[in-house]
Amino acid sequence: MTMETEGENHTVKALNLLRTRICGTTFIFKDSPDSNYSKLKFMISSSVAEACNNSILLLGPRGSGKIAVLDLVIQDLLIQFPDSISVVRLSGLLHSDDISAFKEIARQLCMEHQLLFSKAASSDDNSQFMVAVLKECGLAHKTVIFILDEFDLFAQGKQRLLYSLLDAMQSVSSQAVVLGISCRLDADQLLEKRVRSRFSHRKLLFLPPSVEDSQRLLVHMLTLPIDSSLPSDYAVEFNRKVQNIIDDRRFKEIFDKYLSYDSSVKHLLRFLYCAVSHMDLQIGFLSRENFETAFSSIQRQPKLECLRNCSILELYILVCMKRLEVKEQNLCNFNTVMKEYKIIHDSFQTSDYYARNVCLRAFEHLIHRELICFTDNRGHSLSAEFRPVKLLISSAELHQGLKAYQSCPAILQKLIEREV
Amino acid sequence: MDKEEEAPQIPRRTTRSLYSSSASTSNIVPAAKVSNLEALTINDLLVGGDPISLDDITSSFPGRSSQIHEVVRLLGPLNSPLLPLFVYGGASTGKTSIILQIFRHLKRPLVYSSCRTCYNQRILFESVLNQLLLHRKNMANSYTNAKRCERPSDFVNFLREALTGIVNNLKEKSEKLISEKKTHDGGMGNMIYLVFDNFHLVREWDKSSTILPLLFNLYDMLKIPEVSLIFISSTSPDTFYSNMGYVEPIPIYFPDYTEGDIRQILLRNQANQKLYSSFLDVALKPFCRITRQVGELATALKPLYEQYCEPLSDKGKGVLPSEDMKRRLFNHIKPHIASSLNDVFKVSSPSSREVETSKETKLKGNPKRSEEIADLDFHMSTSAKYLLISAFLASRNPATLDASLFDSKGGSDNRKRKRKASEKALEKKELLEEELLMKGPGTFPLERLIAIFQCIVSVADEPSDEDEQNNEELGAQCGNGSLMSDVLLQLSTLCNANFIFKGKSCPIEGSTRYRSTISENMALKQVARSLKFPLSKYLYRS
Repeated sequence: MTMETEGENHTVKALNLLRTRICGTTFIFKDSPDSNYSKLKFMISSSVAEACNNSILLLGPRGSGKIAVLDLVIQDLLIQFPDSISVVRLSGLLHSDDISAFKEIARQLCMEHQLLFSKAASSDDNSQFMVAVLKECGLAHKTVIFILDEFDLFAQGKQRLLYSLLDAMQSVSSQAVVLGISCRLDADQLLEKRVRSRFSHRKLLFLPPSVEDSQRLLVHMLTLPIDSSLPSDYAVEFNRKVQNIIDDRRFKEIFDKYLSYDSSVKHLLRFLYCAVSHMDLQIGFLSRENFETAFSSIQRQPKLECLRNCSILELYILVCMKRLEVKEQNLCNFNTVMKEYKIIHDSFQTSDYYARNVCLRAFEHLIHRELICFTDNRGHSLSAEFRPVKLLISSAELHQGLKAYQSCPAILQKLIEREV
Repeated sequence: MDKEEEAPQIPRRTTRSLYSSSASTSNIVPAAKVSNLEALTINDLLVGGDPISLDDITSSFPGRSSQIHEVVRLLGPLNSPLLPLFVYGGASTGKTSIILQIFRHLKRPLVYSSCRTCYNQRILFESVLNQLLLHRKNMANSYTNAKRCERPSDFVNFLREALTGIVNNLKEKSEKLISEKKTHDGGMGNMIYLVFDNFHLVREWDKSSTILPLLFNLYDMLKIPEVSLIFISSTSPDTFYSNMGYVEPIPIYFPDYTEGDIRQILLRNQANQKLYSSFLDVALKPFCRITRQVGELATALKPLYEQYCEPLSDKGKGVLPSEDMKRRLFNHIKPHIASSLNDVFKVSSPSSREVETSKETKLKGNPKRSEEIADLDFHMSTSAKYLLISAFLASRNPATLDASLFDSKGGSDNRKRKRKASEKALEKKELLEEELLMKGPGTFPLERLIAIFQCIVSVADEPSDEDEQNNEELGAQCGNGSLMSDVLLQLSTLCNANFIFKGKSCPIEGSTRYRSTISENMALKQVARSLKFPLSKYLYRS
């Protein structure tokens, strides 16, 4: 093997390592003890050790690492108490109706305790089975941890699942922890009175990290280990380059700008992922340009992109619709747009005047691009010409888009500007 | 669709099994039969076809090299995990073909399911599972699916099971390869990619309240690092907002082709490149002002190019255009461009074109006229035509005027009323016109349709002698009372052909209401003229 391919081998290895770190959710929270991590671990481990019931809500915006932290805690606890914990995981997206929720609980409990799961069991059987297992587990001093992801979705409807779970926990013999995870900060307000009174109102709030913390996380994620299969001089050089990038003022500007949109951990990881993927394997080190391209490829302006794709005729139709909107004609459809199009043509003698069927196709293109949409959802009783439509683009965006459009006819810009 | 123009030497989007079988042999039927008997292996998850290099891909997709490289970079080297990707861009920008070709190049397994063919959540789930479980529907299993699954919760359980199976299978395979040192690059790797094409259609499934967040959150839910998701959509990520929220996938944007790219694409596979290029110099720019979709442009430009070559001796096959000739050709084509711009999207059915060419010699005197007549004669019985006209009238005219229009003295009444047009009436007319533009054709109950139908059939009886036989028949049917059943039959045919729209029954009146969907142009020019029916006399003109 030549030196070159060997060098490339390192970089591929390093790249794979970084990508695995970014895609796996737990690494970012490892070695950086989160205060929530220790709190949560204390709460669960004490209720396991003292054999009592508990219910906790983990709240925070999407992508703030609620599940990742919980997974770390559960991992630790499974090592700490290998025989006295069993975990049941539910997701509100999948099990928000009672029937499938009870079924899934029964299935997971059966798997856990090597019992035979019957698919044909009724929902009632399943719920009774759950209560029975909880009782048995309590007698055996075994804690069942219920993890309810998307907790707010379980609070829709009659909340039978939540009620029967929490009600079963009221008895002395049972021993269970219910962990609700939700993005809605008012998740506990959604509960019915009978459920809320059985819920111990512990809440853990997960907040996005500050800019300094984000930067610390960035270093943590991108630093290569010196004592691994990678050659140490390569790793040292790599880490030095990363540090150089982070110290660069221009990088800081981009980084701050990116986090100002959304500073959650998941959002940060997306940015790192893009930057790392753009790393040049030939060079083998990250550069500031990688982060710049990542920034521009993630932060997109879909409406302006869409405008850039439009043909001139499509722009005409958009401008006509905008004019109608300014005239406060609150309902417009293809026919009224065509009328306006004709007025414009008559008064300015534009070179772009096409037949009706051509315009109709351009109109349909705009609907496919989702720059305009039908206001009624009733659908197909009328042909497209008659259905009322509305613009999905603001006049500022249209204005900006027309300016950026290279071969935009001057008349269109004038038509828009007159009103602005 | 119009993928062919972009990559002529690559077959269209096909299922992979079809792809490989048709690539290997032209004699598909026996080959398919044989392959039906073999059990599927994990190799069937690869995109079929000969290995292809990255350079070949970039050269077969002009103007797409930055997108291709971006996708390859994001997919990363072998065995590296991947966050979900979201590929988006307008119609006919090469999203699907490029993704499939890249996978063909990388030789990695993928599960491709299009949300257009898998048109609801159950079919999508079952299609994904069938592919993952290497299940093929055939006679032996009476064409059933590998798993029956309707609920998302079942799907996620089955999916997790199937994926772990596949991933273990892949891992074993690559370990074996490494231990045997057969290949130095590790073969297929351990990753499996799930591709969801036409993802924008999912938004319309059962109001997308559960399925959309489920698919977006699937990656976090599965927590299998070897699995990754690729969504292909024709609308941008911001059109997928729901009140659930999700962590957005990594966007990859395919912009529409620029004029230069379109030029390059259209130039491919042309016999005479120089001549075609000089043609594009003239014709492409005005057409690009109307549309920038390659497929539409290709169909619109084709007849024009034939016209362009007309003055040349051998249809321009071996001609090298000189400056002088270019100018001559330009002058020849110039008047045609303006007119053809206005029928860019006219769909010419192949049958009518065939008819045209076969009749060409006979009807050369006035080809335009003959074409129209040929168009007129869409095969419909006379009574169906009358029915269509009465539906049109019922949709257009206000119901209150029926009596005066169709009364035996109706014609004279009508004229009197018209003469008395006052200021107020004029205003009213304008309002009505506006309303017609906004609301479109009105609805009408069946009774009114039948009444008008009978009126116009009886009117048509009197003046015309040509159709006597026909009308006698109608009259006879009227007498027998069998007309009604016949009319209802015709009506349902017209409804099915989408000439008349049948609405749901009205909650107040309780009867079904109808609406005619044909345009005035068609009603007047085509149907009425073929019947020699004086339609304009009966049309209430505001």
